[in-house]
Amino acid sequence: MPEMLSLSNDPILFIAVMLAKILAVFVVLLLIVAYATYAERKIIGHMQTRLGPTMTGPLGLLQPIADGLKLFFKEDIIPAQASKVAFILAPMMILVPAFITVAVVPFGGDVVIGGYTVPLQIADLDVGILFILAMEGLGVYGIVLAGWASNNKYSLLGGIRSAAQVISYELAAGLSIVAVFMLAETLSLRGIVEAQSGSMFNWFVFSQPLAFCVFFITSVAEINRVPFDLPEAETELVSGFCTEYSSMKYALFFMAEYANMVVVAAVISTLFLGGPAGPFPGVINLLLKIFFFMFVLIWMRATFPRVRYDQLMFMGWKVFLPLALLNIVITGAVIVL
Amino acid sequence: MATKETMTINMGPQHPSTHGVLQLILELDGETVVKATPHIGFLHRGVEKLAENRSYHKALPLTDRLDYLAPMSNNLGYVLAVEKLLGITHEIPQRAKVVRVMMAELTRIKSHLVWLATHALDIGAMTVFIYCFRERELIMDMYEKLSGARMTSNYFRVGGLSEDLPEGFEQDVKNFIDAMPGHLKTYEGLLTGNAIWQKRTQGVGYISAEDAIDIGLTGPALRASGVDWDLRRDNPYTGYEEYDFEVVTRERGDTFDRYTARLDEMRESCKIIQQCLDRLEDGPILADNPGVCLPPKEKVLNSIEGLIHQFKLVTDGFKPEPGEIYQGIEAPKGELGYYMISDGSANPYRMKVRPPSFVNLQALPQMVEGSLLADVIATIGTLDIVLGEIDR
Amino acid sequence: MIKEFIQGLSITARHLLPGNSTTVEYPKVKYEPFERFRGLHRLVPDHSGEKCVACYLCATACPAKCITIEADEDENGRKYPTVYQIDLLRCIFCGYCVEACPVEAIEMTGEYELANLNREDFCFTKERLLK
Repeated sequence: MPEMLSLSNDPILFIAVMLAKILAVFVVLLLIVAYATYAERKIIGHMQTRLGPTMTGPLGLLQPIADGLKLFFKEDIIPAQASKVAFILAPMMILVPAFITVAVVPFGGDVVIGGYTVPLQIADLDVGILFILAMEGLGVYGIVLAGWASNNKYSLLGGIRSAAQVISYELAAGLSIVAVFMLAETLSLRGIVEAQSGSMFNWFVFSQPLAFCVFFITSVAEINRVPFDLPEAETELVSGFCTEYSSMKYALFFMAEYANMVVVAAVISTLFLGGPAGPFPGVINLLLKIFFFMFVLIWMRATFPRVRYDQLMFMGWKVFLPLALLNIVITGAVIVL
Repeated sequence: MATKETMTINMGPQHPSTHGVLQLILELDGETVVKATPHIGFLHRGVEKLAENRSYHKALPLTDRLDYLAPMSNNLGYVLAVEKLLGITHEIPQRAKVVRVMMAELTRIKSHLVWLATHALDIGAMTVFIYCFRERELIMDMYEKLSGARMTSNYFRVGGLSEDLPEGFEQDVKNFIDAMPGHLKTYEGLLTGNAIWQKRTQGVGYISAEDAIDIGLTGPALRASGVDWDLRRDNPYTGYEEYDFEVVTRERGDTFDRYTARLDEMRESCKIIQQCLDRLEDGPILADNPGVCLPPKEKVLNSIEGLIHQFKLVTDGFKPEPGEIYQGIEAPKGELGYYMISDGSANPYRMKVRPPSFVNLQALPQMVEGSLLADVIATIGTLDIVLGEIDR
Repeated sequence: MIKEFIQGLSITARHLLPGNSTTVEYPKVKYEPFERFRGLHRLVPDHSGEKCVACYLCATACPAKCITIEADEDENGRKYPTVYQIDLLRCIFCGYCVEACPVEAIEMTGEYELANLNREDFCFTKERLLK
């Protein structure tokens, strides 16, 4: 195996490769986000005996672009009583962490470029998974800020709900994957993928089914998807934290929601389904897994009612947190024995 | 002790789930509702007053627009009231009576479908919404085939019906009630057993039987609290006494019970409609009463007597004896009553409507106070209110 | 609990299969109303112009008072409407005019695309109603 490419051995090539990787990941992510909205509308449409978008381009395929253009040219309204700086900052604060998280997700094995080994991952942090948890936690500031800065009671309620929800669910989510670290003995995502290499049955979903379930459900709660979409619950809080937003700012919230979906799907695939492992070239495997999880999220949205605020908290603290702790104890016991 | 501040929040009249233009002033402590005050009147059109300036015949289209989700029930209540005022209740031909029952029950299913759709959507299950509207569409098609309009049917007439059943209508009805139990299973599959749905509805919006009676709750909302009261059985009209059906009651009086009660009511309605189809016989559709009913079109076109009759009735209308009556029917949402006063002229002196939603809405503050904001939505949904008839 | 969740998911998944759509793609596919549909009015023409004899019965029967008629006699002594106008903004499409007409001179068609840009365009004069 040739030497790992780094800033010290070939700075120009390193920067070029890095930029290429960032650009590729960013473009792919944006494309997935754009077409996730389309897929969601199409899939839910058909599940509801409708058709979804059909008028823009063949099969409505240009719909995301039309939506983007429409939102771009809409009047950008800032309510008179809103806290301006926070109001403008909030959508960015929610989108940026969502996109940053992807940096640590490995999307393939190593390749050799110009005599050096290049890992197909933007940044291989030693504490990759902590970074992901931190960024997901940071995303909620955007929601809380948006809810507070809008100076609207519905938005405020949405923001408060979101804060409470993320605090309760981040704990359970974090604890549930502790078991995965215990098995992989590393926090680096690359290391976790390596620990699952080999046969398909090395995937942690088989050795850690409980952790998988808990992490999946808590992740759904963390990204505010149905049945846990309380912060925006349109039938209760009108549109929750983004009630007052319009134009591109609203589009940023929208993109962040779908970007979060992609990120969560990618993280679950990496932690529990062996990341890029599988029968096809690495990236395609990972994408297939991501699409599968996104489909499940969309499917759930079409099927389930919304839970209530107090029930959500109850589940977070009294069901998932003990379950995650129990899982750690069991895993520990098995490892020791 | 720290002082406790509450937040007042305006829910409605522009809100996705206040079922129209209901405004609720909610006092919230966190998300707990301390006080709820409904404000109504945003959809007031003065239907009762308008009726005073129209002949009895011309006031009929107004009733379509009360509870716009169940127009035929409103029509039925009105024509029954006017018939009672005229004293011609016994003259209504059998076929007209059977068709009236059939359409009233189809209307019940139609209204309950919209209730289920919006109720489920409010709680977040959006697919049920579309499925219910898919089935409602079939009833709308039948409405259109029968009366010519999808919502403002204006089909019943004082003395009978405006037109006979069109070709193939009975088959449509038959197909619909055969398929309906399957559709109900689909809705139940998505909701009844679902743990989230149960959690959201059980114990929510509770009202006891005594309170329900005190407030004057009627319809499924009353029966789900355990009060066995249904005007179709207890004060029958338009021949309901001849039909075999069960009055669906429940015990617990919460949102979940009201949900299952209404689903079962739809099943009972299917049974009644089946009996109607069995009883349909050929015969006249209008009472043989020239003073009230328009002559058949052939007579108008071909005979001078018919022509004069038509002119006389359209121009002058009919004039009931002075007096006052009350006629209540079991509309989908509860007891729909018409209180009519005649002063002997061709226009009603007073038409008072007792809309079920208006009375049922009174129970809302009691049902939601102390519960969470999300329960307010569920409770509005479960009361099945329509602002068209609340504000009139 | 899990069983019911899966049951719900299977119901939505079943509807995902092709052939379940109930959408009528409206501007592309026009909805065909049933025969009795109460849409735009039409005055029935005959050899002398219109069947209408200007008896005012429709205007009398109209609960919304949306029909304006002015009558005159032609050289044969036959009454006919010089002005026959329906204000669609007031019309409630109840069908009473059709019910009242003693000569079947007015009928309601299946025409339901009634949107217009100006208020004046909603006034349907005799010429437009005869089409």
